[in-house]
Amino acid sequence: MRTYVTLVWAVTRKDLLVEFRTYERLTAMGAFAVLVGVLFNFSIDTAVVRPQDIAAALIWMTIIFGGMLGMGRTFRLEEEDGALAGILQSPIPLHALYLGKVLGNFILLSVMATLVFFVFGLFFSLSFSGNPVILVAIVGLGVLGFVSLTTLFSAMATRSSMGESLLPVLVFPLLVPVLVYGATATQRLFAGRPVVEVGGNLRMLAAFAIIFTVAGAGLFRFVIEE
Amino acid sequence: MSDKQIQWSVGVLGTLGVATVILLHWMVFFWVPTESSMGIVQRIFYIHVPAWWIAFLGFGLVGLCSAVYLWLGDERLDRAAVAGAEAGMVFTTIGLLTGPLWGRVAWGTWWEWEPRLTLALILWFIYLGYFLVRRSTANPEQGKRFAAVIGIIGVLDIPLIHVSVTWLRSLHPQAVILSAENPMNLESSMGVTIGVGLLAFSLVFASLFLARYAVAGYERELDLRDATLAGT
Amino acid sequence: MSFGLEAVGLVRTFGGLRAVDGVSFQLQPGELLTVFGPNGAGKTTLLRMLAGVMRPNSGHVRVAGAPADVASRDWRHRVGIVSHQSLLYGQLTTEENLRFYGRLFRLDDLKTRIPERLASMGLSDRTRTPVRELSRGLKQRVALARALLHDPEVVLLDEPYTGLDPHASAVLREQLTSLKDGRRTVVLVTHNLKQGLELSDRVAIQVQGRFSSVTDSASLDLAELEALYQAAVENPA
Repeated sequence: MRTYVTLVWAVTRKDLLVEFRTYERLTAMGAFAVLVGVLFNFSIDTAVVRPQDIAAALIWMTIIFGGMLGMGRTFRLEEEDGALAGILQSPIPLHALYLGKVLGNFILLSVMATLVFFVFGLFFSLSFSGNPVILVAIVGLGVLGFVSLTTLFSAMATRSSMGESLLPVLVFPLLVPVLVYGATATQRLFAGRPVVEVGGNLRMLAAFAIIFTVAGAGLFRFVIEE
Repeated sequence: MSDKQIQWSVGVLGTLGVATVILLHWMVFFWVPTESSMGIVQRIFYIHVPAWWIAFLGFGLVGLCSAVYLWLGDERLDRAAVAGAEAGMVFTTIGLLTGPLWGRVAWGTWWEWEPRLTLALILWFIYLGYFLVRRSTANPEQGKRFAAVIGIIGVLDIPLIHVSVTWLRSLHPQAVILSAENPMNLESSMGVTIGVGLLAFSLVFASLFLARYAVAGYERELDLRDATLAGT
Repeated sequence: MSFGLEAVGLVRTFGGLRAVDGVSFQLQPGELLTVFGPNGAGKTTLLRMLAGVMRPNSGHVRVAGAPADVASRDWRHRVGIVSHQSLLYGQLTTEENLRFYGRLFRLDDLKTRIPERLASMGLSDRTRTPVRELSRGLKQRVALARALLHDPEVVLLDEPYTGLDPHASAVLREQLTSLKDGRRTVVLVTHNLKQGLELSDRVAIQVQGRFSSVTDSASLDLAELEALYQAAVENPA
């Protein structure tokens, strides 16, 4: 078991190491987050609409669209010099490779999500005092569900001629439950509703994350093998 | 099944299917009584709802065949999956077209985020993803495997999507809607008509499925022949 | 006594194209087989199957007598591969690349193993260099270091001479010669008839997915090999 975790972590560590040399993905996602916040401000007529009312929805949309920018490149690293063959030839089980990638993506996307909340909180004077721990759990589980699906599909997108433009078309319909439960829970927490009202959301997000991480791990070899 | 058997089955099922569809239309327009709360527009229900059921059945079939295809690797299962997907796509499209027609009259709007319609729209896009991914790889075997993965993920996700969409809908106070969510006054003849609708579409689905399955078989033969010619 | 590497009836098709059409051979431990062939003969596909990276449609591979199929992972530490691509991460240093792969191959003693391996290949002063800053020749050397890090019994090389200048070629030749230590079984795919023949114990010519001949290289000189090659390409079996 310990070896398995070591293998997973080896993959994650490598992905993060590469990312911190170039900051390629984080920059793309981060710039997107800030710019959407800015553009949002210019698209609102505050006499008619209160930004606070729709902030939660827009935060989630930004995380998903921006996240897609980063996720699409998950396997790009391995394509450049054929490193994927090197990994596939090694003893690492393919589900461990998948989980390593998912963990790496989860960390990167969590950083981005935090930035999004920060940016929107700053620009639109949002209050997070409601229940920060539960909010973190909601966002964390939502991000995990998103990442587990997107990592599986980005392996497909990398090997298809349509490339990364295929990814949103495939993934967005499948993400509906994450958006529904994540965004409504966030809205409730922003509105100061009691935590018990988002209990169901938490459970559904957890179920989604578990189901698709397990399914992804099981199906990954069909996507990555030739 | 041999070629001749398939052709015969397609012919029989197709004819029976078309005949039952005609019967269905006669029943819908001339036989079944008008439902008391909704009036004449409710009649589209007998076409719309069976189309839905078949659309979802189709996807269930795709999911099942995809899973077994990945497990056993038998190429025929992939053919069944793609046949089911195309036939299912046809019925999903029918459902998406007839739904708003009904909605326009029943609800006053062309579109409502009503759970079934919403789910059908999402299902349509999942089907679309299935087809796009199939054709997008250089290696056709890989495309089939990718499509199978989408089939399985889709089947796992659809119940979750359904629950989430229904839950979301239940949060909003309903506008005055005479919709399928309100219990209708169903008489036995209405039940019969729905049953006939289901039968009609099942027959048509089955014949489309078999025809597409056979065509997939020919496509494969053609591919093999092309490749052997290219090799010489 | 089991063979170092054995292939039995390997077949691989893509759609209807038979890229590898029934290849079989047996290599004793310590033998080096060079595979020549024109582009599109299926040599890379063959190597990928031997490496367990691609699943054969039929046939199987045995490494040191044990089955080596795609699904299982436990035989893979016995094989090392070098491709014409480097299989390395450009943004990481030589050491970081080796450490990553070392972990994948479950090696415990990386702190000593990596410096030793780098030193044996004249790469010690490049330990901290990002791989993308290395010349093609040096990159290939690091690639070979990566392949040999876990001390595999079987080494597969897919056109390793690609893009190397004469000096780098000579260095590679030296490294490959040192592989012939009587223990390692090697399959080398190359276009370079001279180098390929020099190093080999046996020579195979692959055309259209099949081995048209497998010959002991002791009995061949370069001119004969060239003639054999021409004949095989013009008249595929």
